[in-house]
Amino acid sequence: MRLLRGALLLLGLPTVLFGLWWIASADSTSFYFPPLQKILAEFAETWTAERWRADVLPSLARLGAGYAASCVLGITLGLLIGRTRWLLHLTEPVLEFARAVPPPVLVPVIMLVAGIGDTMKTAVIVSGCIWPILLNTIAGVRSADAVQLDTAAAFGLGRTRTLTSVVLPAASPRIVTGMRQSLAIGLILMVISEMFAAQSGLGFAIVQFQRSYAIPAMWSGILLLGCLGVALAALFNLFDRAVLHWYHRMRERSA
Amino acid sequence: MLEADGIGRDYRVDGQVLTAIDSLTFQVAEGELVCIVGPSGCGKTTLLRMCAGLLTPTRGRAAVDGRTVDGPPADTAVVFQEYGRSLFPWMRVGANVDLPLRRLGLTRAERRERVAEALALVDLAGRERAWPWQLSGGQQQRVAIARAVAFRPRLLLMDEPFAAVDAQTRAELEDLIRDLWQRLGVTVVFITHDIDESVYLGQRVLVLSSSPTRMRAEIHIDLGEERDQLGTRSSPEFAKLRGAVWKEIQAAKRKPDE
Amino acid sequence: MSHKTNRDPAGPRPGDADTPHPSPAGPTAPRPGDPRARLHPRRPRPRLRPTPGRTPPLPVPLVLGAAGVALALAAGQLLPHTPLVNPAYTPTTGAVLNALAADLARGEFWQALADTLTAWALGLAIAVAAGAALGILIGSLPPVRAAANSTIEFLRPIPSVALVPLAVLLFGTRLPSTLLLVVYAAFWQVLVQVLAGVRDIDPVAADTARSLRLNPWQRLRHLAWPTALPYLMTGVRLAATVALVLAITAELVIGSPGLGHEIAVAQSSGATERMYALILVAGGLGVLVNLGVRAVERGALRWHPSVRSEAPA
Repeated sequence: MRLLRGALLLLGLPTVLFGLWWIASADSTSFYFPPLQKILAEFAETWTAERWRADVLPSLARLGAGYAASCVLGITLGLLIGRTRWLLHLTEPVLEFARAVPPPVLVPVIMLVAGIGDTMKTAVIVSGCIWPILLNTIAGVRSADAVQLDTAAAFGLGRTRTLTSVVLPAASPRIVTGMRQSLAIGLILMVISEMFAAQSGLGFAIVQFQRSYAIPAMWSGILLLGCLGVALAALFNLFDRAVLHWYHRMRERSA
Repeated sequence: MLEADGIGRDYRVDGQVLTAIDSLTFQVAEGELVCIVGPSGCGKTTLLRMCAGLLTPTRGRAAVDGRTVDGPPADTAVVFQEYGRSLFPWMRVGANVDLPLRRLGLTRAERRERVAEALALVDLAGRERAWPWQLSGGQQQRVAIARAVAFRPRLLLMDEPFAAVDAQTRAELEDLIRDLWQRLGVTVVFITHDIDESVYLGQRVLVLSSSPTRMRAEIHIDLGEERDQLGTRSSPEFAKLRGAVWKEIQAAKRKPDE
Repeated sequence: MSHKTNRDPAGPRPGDADTPHPSPAGPTAPRPGDPRARLHPRRPRPRLRPTPGRTPPLPVPLVLGAAGVALALAAGQLLPHTPLVNPAYTPTTGAVLNALAADLARGEFWQALADTLTAWALGLAIAVAAGAALGILIGSLPPVRAAANSTIEFLRPIPSVALVPLAVLLFGTRLPSTLLLVVYAAFWQVLVQVLAGVRDIDPVAADTARSLRLNPWQRLRHLAWPTALPYLMTGVRLAATVALVLAITAELVIGSPGLGHEIAVAQSSGATERMYALILVAGGLGVLVNLGVRAVERGALRWHPSVRSEAPA
């Protein structure tokens, strides 16, 4: 019974909304809003294995590479800057300014410097993804509990071990928050980097459809993008649960 | 074992200098259990942090085993008041107790044995797999004590460790400390604001003045080696000693520049 | 023991000459000059005995920060002269600032700025109104909230850029295109925060409201609204940033009027210095918006007695 109730809650409203969309658009003759039925039919035709290989997977690979690079760079630099007070004060205004620049705006700049190949697209992703991770790492390191740091110092733990066993885990909730924000940004930048001068990729494909007025295909592309976003978010939740299980359980206890 | 020689500490706040500790000189012999009490705000914690090498003195020095303290001294363990913030919530109890042992060059088996031994000493045998936040306040402080004990320190510094714990648990923990002290032969410096506790636990009680802090009095506690919560605390000697400490503290509060 | 707040518990250690970095915890942290922020909460303050004749210490963070900015500007000026950086792609700071000055004198720049700010403000207002209303509505009715959860979690991660083709088809390159993206992205920020705020209602207060037999409107006014307000302000702050980014992005990608479009024009016509200058303006705008919204947040929450932290994004 409980299982049924859970399933009902999970799928109830989406199913209703989906059904409404289906029914409302069933007799649609509007050019821009074709029947949902048609969109779904187009889905299988458009997103063939060929297109997956040529467009979708390379896009995701670039996203993966850019995101991974952002995490490594962001966390390493964040640990360094967060622990070194003078470095923090030195870089803070510049970092605050740099993070305020909307990442897509840097696409033309990066295009100038890096051309229009894979390097450019990955660089675009890194240029946007690094900020939430970097800044959240710094904030997490700065707010490490003083008593915990005192304990580490009192037992003579040493700089490296203090960093890995105390500072990094203490900052990890904030770091993970930053990584979550970065993932969302990365997806957006992946698409945007391909909407400019590109020859392949998911974003490129969708814009192609729009320009050639293949509307149902365009909608199917939007749907696919949405599904990707959801799938990545779900994957990230698994990661979050795994890395921060102690944190979530601790908070549940005191809630 | 521990020696303070004219040690003092100033702070700079808003461009002004305030003196937390003016000058303190005292000795703690090896194997002693000494309690330090004083009125609120007299810098007890500052003193402990200087002895633990977490804070640099402005004047004078502290020395452990003859060597001047300029960083956390070897063979010294600290137990803080805020157990909830001193234990690491991302590690289980066993890992918490094990962490300081990692730099001692022991094998994994030896470390495991020490951890089990320490937890047994504090009545938490077999709780290695528990998470700190699953335990009660008193149990968490026991884990912190176990962590200190597993380290096999020669000097144990305790900063009002039982202030955040309820009265019944406090009584149990006080007895635990005395028990561990007698069994392990470790030197203990115990900071507290609780006068009764200082008399119950210590062989000597050092009373600090209020800010700017100096040593106000030193009172020898001759209540004997075997003490218990009920008998000792209701004895006339206890009352007398307690009264003596009490009087010193009251006087310290009244004359700030003594 | 509540873990709701993430106020920086450390504060600086007494003895640090410089003032602490303001806690990133947002509206919750004590202000930097506040003496309560300095010492450990349990440690009582030692008595003050001032020593005459001491001058206040130099504000080290300020000096270092200014030095950092100066270093960055200097690097920007010197690096293009080295073989490391191609001056055609990355002009010197001086050239960029010149282009900026030239732009400030032209009417088109201010028009574009106005267009961006209009899209930002309008989109933000719509998003906040819709997000707050829906958030309170959904949040106050637990069964609705439970049912809506999966839908929200499904729609939220959909990247707003997915709507770009749709916007272009529907509205071309006019303001509504920008608005579509801005509202869509900003709305979720507000909604999620307000939902968290409504859920955070103190159960004791809720019981009190029920025993006093307050009607739904009164409960909204005296219970849901004050509790949700700090969360709402956090949501507004996040939404404001997102709205600006999306506004400029939409203008860049779609070509609707505004700073983003100017940047695209500058790039395609090879006016590299102007492009960089406009990027600097975009960054500066972002910083101003961030500071402004934080100021509004502090003002709006000045009376609020309790302290709240951000709901996890």
